[in-house]
Amino acid sequence: MSLDRVCRLTGLGGVALFLATAFTPLAHALTLWMAVEPQLVPSDAIVVLGATVSPSGILSSESTRRTDHAIDLYHRGLAPRLILLGGARGSGAIEAEIRAKLARLHSIPADAILTESRARTTREEAARVRDLARSRGIRTVLLVTNSGHMARARPLFERAGFEVHPAPSDTDFEPTAPEARLMLMRGLLQEVLGWIYYRIAGYA
Amino acid sequence: MIGIFMLALAGLTSVGAYLLGARRLGLRPARLGAAVGKTLETVGAVLIFLVANLVVAVPLVVALRAVTGTFVSVYVTDDTAWLGLSLLQGLAFQWWREASRKKAGALALEERGNLG
Repeated sequence: MSLDRVCRLTGLGGVALFLATAFTPLAHALTLWMAVEPQLVPSDAIVVLGATVSPSGILSSESTRRTDHAIDLYHRGLAPRLILLGGARGSGAIEAEIRAKLARLHSIPADAILTESRARTTREEAARVRDLARSRGIRTVLLVTNSGHMARARPLFERAGFEVHPAPSDTDFEPTAPEARLMLMRGLLQEVLGWIYYRIAGYA
Repeated sequence: MIGIFMLALAGLTSVGAYLLGARRLGLRPARLGAAVGKTLETVGAVLIFLVANLVVAVPLVVALRAVTGTFVSVYVTDDTAWLGLSLLQGLAFQWWREASRKKAGALALEERGNLG
């Protein structure tokens, strides 16, 4: 096959994927397809995986969605503790601390909140939470992250010794604006690649 | 709703550009298909560069971690700037190929003239 033809077919595929992603609910349908069934059962703690925060302390929409979901789960009485994760970009604001502030604003007592900000990867998050949980007798966790990330995160927390109950934060979120749909697809592709990377590296 | 508006607007400006090109600028409508093909080729070249950049970036990040002992996040691949860089690479590569083709064509014509 000539280079022209390879480029043309790749371009055609790229344009088709772009149009289908931006102007149809494809990304949301894929999210639902990849989603694991939520298991909202009483557990020892709610673990909220890190996303991103701006240096000035503004949580990304993904981070806010996960935190809000966890706060809701807490108020539904599903767990007595909230473990909030998330580091900082450089010397900026720490995501876990901003999340903790948000949780306190939603009437969650400070002594029910644990934070961890040193983990830089999902694998490190599982290890740090294991260290935090060991002395507190935490065995079962409600794991809060997006559906795409759950497939990679869940086995890591199970390997760390937890009984994991998935609590995906995004199954009710259906973007309608083209840019939001593209961002969702980007996140999904990122998670698929991350999952492949973890499989190759032997982490999952 | 936003999507429909955007598609409708892009359609409208495309029709406007077609009319301007065909009626005012003297462009040949029959060559529009070839132009679309060239556009797809360029988009394809950009995507190939994007994939190549990301495929090379991941092992490089892992190697950097191992060699320097400092943490470099794999999320460095999750940056929109890659698309911009790949766009520049793809465009330059396609125009390089196009310029080489034109040069080869001109040389062939010149050679034919000399023979005649």
